[in-house]
Amino acid sequence: MRRRFSLVAFSVKHPRLVIVLAGIVTLAFATQFAKLKTDTNPKNMLPETSDVRVWNDQIEQIFGLYEDMIVIGVSNEAGVLNPRTLEKIKRITDELMQIKGIAGRDVSSFPTITNVTAEAGFLKVAPLMTDIPSSSGDLEALRTVLFDNPLFVDRIISRDGKVAAIYVPLEKGANGKEIADTIRRIVARVGGPEQYYVAGDPVARDTFGAEMFKIMGIFSPIAGMIMFLAIYLMFRNIPLALSMMAVAMISIVWSMGLVLGLGFPIHIMSSMSPVFLMAIATDSIHIFNEFYFRYRECRDRRAAILDTMEAVGRPVRYTALATASGFAVLLFMHIIPVQVFGGLVAFGTLALRLLSFSFIPAILMLVNEERISRASAREDAATGPMGILLRKLGSFGAFRPGLTVAGGLLVLLAGAAGATLIRINNNMVSWFKEGSAVRVADTVMNRALGGTSLAYVIADAGSGDEPIKDPAVLRTIEGLQRRLEGLPVVGKTTSVVDIVKRINRALHDDDPKFSIIPDSKTAVGQYLFLFAMSAKPSDLDNVINHDFTKANIWVQLKTWDAQAMRDVIMAIGDYKLQQRTSLDIRPGGVAYFNLVWNDEVLGDMVRGFAISLLVVFAILALSFRSLKWALVGYMPLLFTIAIIYGVVGLVGKDFDMPISVLSCLSLGMAVDFAIHFIGRFRRRWEERPKGGAQPGGGELADALLWTCTRPGKGILRNAVLFASAFGVMLFAPLTPYVTVGAFIVSMMTLSALTTILFVPALIRLLQGWLLKTARDAGK
Amino acid sequence: MKRLIALVATWGLAAILPAAAQESPTAEQIVERSLKAFFYQGDDFKAKITMELIDQAGHKRSRVLTMLRKNAASGWNQKYFIYFHEPGDVRGITFMVWKYPGKEDDRWIFVPAVDLVRRIAASDKRSSFVGSDFTYEDVSGRDLDADTHSLLRSERLGERDCYVIQSVPKEPLEYAKKIAWIARDIYLPIKEEYYSTQGELLKVFSAESIENLSSAKTTYPTVLKRTMKNLKTGHRTEVTFGTALYNIGLKDDDFSERYMRSPVRSWIE
Repeated sequence: MRRRFSLVAFSVKHPRLVIVLAGIVTLAFATQFAKLKTDTNPKNMLPETSDVRVWNDQIEQIFGLYEDMIVIGVSNEAGVLNPRTLEKIKRITDELMQIKGIAGRDVSSFPTITNVTAEAGFLKVAPLMTDIPSSSGDLEALRTVLFDNPLFVDRIISRDGKVAAIYVPLEKGANGKEIADTIRRIVARVGGPEQYYVAGDPVARDTFGAEMFKIMGIFSPIAGMIMFLAIYLMFRNIPLALSMMAVAMISIVWSMGLVLGLGFPIHIMSSMSPVFLMAIATDSIHIFNEFYFRYRECRDRRAAILDTMEAVGRPVRYTALATASGFAVLLFMHIIPVQVFGGLVAFGTLALRLLSFSFIPAILMLVNEERISRASAREDAATGPMGILLRKLGSFGAFRPGLTVAGGLLVLLAGAAGATLIRINNNMVSWFKEGSAVRVADTVMNRALGGTSLAYVIADAGSGDEPIKDPAVLRTIEGLQRRLEGLPVVGKTTSVVDIVKRINRALHDDDPKFSIIPDSKTAVGQYLFLFAMSAKPSDLDNVINHDFTKANIWVQLKTWDAQAMRDVIMAIGDYKLQQRTSLDIRPGGVAYFNLVWNDEVLGDMVRGFAISLLVVFAILALSFRSLKWALVGYMPLLFTIAIIYGVVGLVGKDFDMPISVLSCLSLGMAVDFAIHFIGRFRRRWEERPKGGAQPGGGELADALLWTCTRPGKGILRNAVLFASAFGVMLFAPLTPYVTVGAFIVSMMTLSALTTILFVPALIRLLQGWLLKTARDAGK
Repeated sequence: MKRLIALVATWGLAAILPAAAQESPTAEQIVERSLKAFFYQGDDFKAKITMELIDQAGHKRSRVLTMLRKNAASGWNQKYFIYFHEPGDVRGITFMVWKYPGKEDDRWIFVPAVDLVRRIAASDKRSSFVGSDFTYEDVSGRDLDADTHSLLRSERLGERDCYVIQSVPKEPLEYAKKIAWIARDIYLPIKEEYYSTQGELLKVFSAESIENLSSAKTTYPTVLKRTMKNLKTGHRTEVTFGTALYNIGLKDDDFSERYMRSPVRSWIE
């Protein structure tokens, strides 16, 4: 404690030196920006060695699959089966082949997809549409072939014939957004009246990754500007406003420099940290706030600074500690980018505090005294609209404590009830606004076709002599497909069974009776061989492994919700139990990855959140040196998060990555105001003119109202500052930023209001219990 | 004296020029001779062939088959008959092709499990032959005039002097051009490279072992081991000819549906 005070004294004595030193350190950290690497792929939040990625890599290897797939929809209200639309599909398909990063040989589209038919005594295994049908007879033939074949319906053609799909696998490392952009240029050139849609995980993922950095680049400065303006309006002093921004910038440079210097790339999560640090930096406003009051009282700048730091030093230190530990808890989580993010913000917060005790006093010493005295003249706790509002709020809490606390408890209960409805779910497509190209494409395609979200279900029949060819095994797989297709979230499944049945039917003159699995293993073997004689190698490789011990069922899901994959896994479990099959059936693919990602990353964040709750309480107790006061101080935090999560649960908003990141912030921030309020109140109470031995109602009310209006003004200013800066985000084009904006605005407003309303009420209600001890402790 | 020099020079040139013309056939002529040497040697031909399909991870799948081939009395028409020995569950599947240049082949397959012979529509000669990296055209030859051929240069490849021929398909295909090294002496392709429009190398063919097989008084240089490697997928197919015989006396009638169901023993053993 002594050293902190000496830091302030040193800074007041050598303001220029402190500022130069801060500049040098900042420059040193800034050099690390040369190492800037970004990683916009949320996939990399899980390391390459994680089980799910290793497993998915294996699946891709075994079945010759691609990590990523884009789906293009071609929609024509009049139906796509006309020569002009078909010509366009062919043109697009041909042009796709030329794009780098696309696995051209495995594009599935009318001109490329393998078709097995029996026509006029001929067995035909060939691409579906080699020439554009021109006569009505040819068109009719194509229509029959398409709708007769379960391998096509819901996959490359919608049931109503209005939407055709092209599946575009991407080579490893290709950027989904860049390829999607190229595809959009191609379809724009090919032109209407058809509508074109580009959907799929890589499109959403890479578009989001790219947009995220762009938005951070635009909104961080805007938020900064608004905060700057707000500070200026509050304190009417440009150097002060600048110094607050400078402190924020310095801490951003330090912490980002540290992370980059340690060799970590900036992931999507840590790309949010500048905004967070800017938010946390506003805590310095308590220093300015108090300084203006003090300066007005004593007119001695040096004394005012030292007094201010003594008065607010303790709460500022502990709020910083609370915030920093809320994030530091993330350091102990499993996911590396989560650790990096937690460490980055925690370090930045500590840097901010260090600057609060050095850089800010130094600036205050250098600011033109004339101006300060003019600006601070306006500063009076009692007057002004803010002062009146604070007074009213505080009085309500202080004079009707029972009603206030009862109301608070009701809100708490309602919030808790709402919070139980929260779904932990990350759906990246829903991060795009309704009406955005990505979202519309996904919606349209999912309505018309089997689904844009792809999962694999691997049936492993163990070793043995090509066990998958066994008709009994195939029937088990077929049964599983029907079971999965019974789920509302599953639009389509495809497996080797569909191929076997198709060949059987084609060999028997297209008799639908033979659309079944044959009875002998040899027949299955010969059918598949026959198919492989003419089909593309990938047709079989994608659904069966080289020694016929494993089969891959393609499961198309109509939503990217994690719950959809959970449903699939549940259904698999049920089916296995019911069939008592010896098949080992395991999920995989992008949809499965997203589920694991969801559970691991968000689960990690939830665990972190729970631990933070405890840590923050411990810090409160430490700060107040009292469990009782810690409980009181904890209440505004509980109210705030109960209300926010209650609303999140009630409106059905998913607990997704942005919300999870914000949760950590909310703990650290929402408790700040209570620390300031209680800290300052207790100091005021101890320093009150010693009259009666017992805490009288009048004395207590006076102290509470003083706290509400003077440090309370700092609290409200802090909240307003925050809220106005983050309000900008409500206009961001991606929903996670809207979420961030709404979350922070409501969190700051709520925690400020609950602090000023409930804390006085609680203190009044519990005065006997609290204050005696407090005074005993004081002795 | 001048006259003498002129005379000698003229005489000398006259001696050299026709020889040079003889040694430099056109690209079309080279490709035509190469097709004859690679796919049409002898009157007929029989070989037991092992194909190893090897994926990137090194997993192998085998195909063992006997191939019979007979040329038509004249022109480019041919008949092929293929009997599959392995994998076990496909033993007895037979496959027959009547090949006509410039026109779609006739193809038949016999599926023993259902005891059915079916005609197969052969719309795409570029599709994979029994799941291998070879296409049907790689097995039976591509029409001479389906490509525009040009002679790039002559160079030595390994132990042989080769013509280097570029062949650009007239119709768009999965590759944009093929560069072939054709041995000047025996006219067999030693190496072929397939390139995409962007100039990426897609596939490489190589003839690893060439031997002279003799029948009666003639010797037929024959590729006994060849590989096609797909550089995009890492998949490759190695083909080895076991017993290979020319001019065994096959008749046109031997290539019929009847023999598909019950092939002559001596053919397939």
